[in-house]
Amino acid sequence: MKRILADLHIHTALSPCASEEMIPQAIVRAAIRRGLEMIAICDHNTAGNTAAAEKAAGKDITVIAGMEITTAEDVHVLGLFPDVWVACTVSEKILKTLPEMQGSSKILGRQTLMNAEGQIIGMETKMLAASSAFRLSDSVNLIKRHRGIAVAAHLDRPSFSVISQLGMIPDDISFDAIEISGAAVASSRIQEFYSFGIPVLTSSDSHFLSDIGTCCTALEILEPTFNELVLALRGIAGRGCSVA
Amino acid sequence: MKLNDLAEKLSLRNLTLEIQIKESTCVSKGHASDLLSDVLANAPGGSVLVTIQVHMNVIAVAIHAGVASVIFASGMVPDQAVIEKAISEGLPLYTSKESTFDIAGQLYELGLRGGHG
Repeated sequence: MKRILADLHIHTALSPCASEEMIPQAIVRAAIRRGLEMIAICDHNTAGNTAAAEKAAGKDITVIAGMEITTAEDVHVLGLFPDVWVACTVSEKILKTLPEMQGSSKILGRQTLMNAEGQIIGMETKMLAASSAFRLSDSVNLIKRHRGIAVAAHLDRPSFSVISQLGMIPDDISFDAIEISGAAVASSRIQEFYSFGIPVLTSSDSHFLSDIGTCCTALEILEPTFNELVLALRGIAGRGCSVA
Repeated sequence: MKLNDLAEKLSLRNLTLEIQIKESTCVSKGHASDLLSDVLANAPGGSVLVTIQVHMNVIAVAIHAGVASVIFASGMVPDQAVIEKAISEGLPLYTSKESTFDIAGQLYELGLRGGHG
């Protein structure tokens, strides 16, 4: 068993709100420099740049293909998937329910699809900042049907979290983990989040290169793979996770 | 204002006909919000909540905040399970095709006020 650091919520330039500097190669380099051995790419409502990030990483660092779904209730839920192909299958279903951009990218931000070298290969035409038609329960079911990990994103934040939108975690939703921000880790509120009885992750929710690894989760695992991450969240055979 | 009269004046569609609303049920406060964390923190007790949020949690949050009734705006109608939960809790639900803004405006004209009004 070894202890590794993971930052499981990083946006690329595909997210309209993320910096143009968030190109796959640069993200991977920054993550390695900060001692991370696992990162997850989670753009809003799409997994369109996960293949590029995985290729850019090579064998140097593990990239988990994910996405940050905006549910019909404006709740952000992270889906982390076994591989890029599965993530893109889910992504296609979500994208179909989003409105078209209609030339508003100047206000909302560019949505850049890239290859591993960081070259622009296209622009996403769906409005990624909008909410999908998938309700919270449907989104979590969709993630789980595809063997993914469902995480309640930035639960401590006053916007787009399950708590802010719905007042509490609904009884019928079983998240695999909840994510809190670095600010919550440092605050006296931390115990409040442990009280849910669900593994607590902390991630940077990076929109800029300088955010990467500013807060991260420590994993006790055999090797940095998706399967080991799943086992760590379940606390199986000495594996585990903790805020770092 | 009596809740029954208010519903009639705004031509609201009653989603919970099974609930017998007492003649004496009156409302004088209103709250408009789709964020249930805000409803929990700021909806005045005994108020009418106007929202487009149709998630099941609306019921638990409304009960917790002491909201007297919920009006779903813009033609929003929650799932049957949500309606049944409201019936079992005795929380009257209505729906209207009009927007939150227009419903709130009409409630204001009828004399209802927000938490600080």
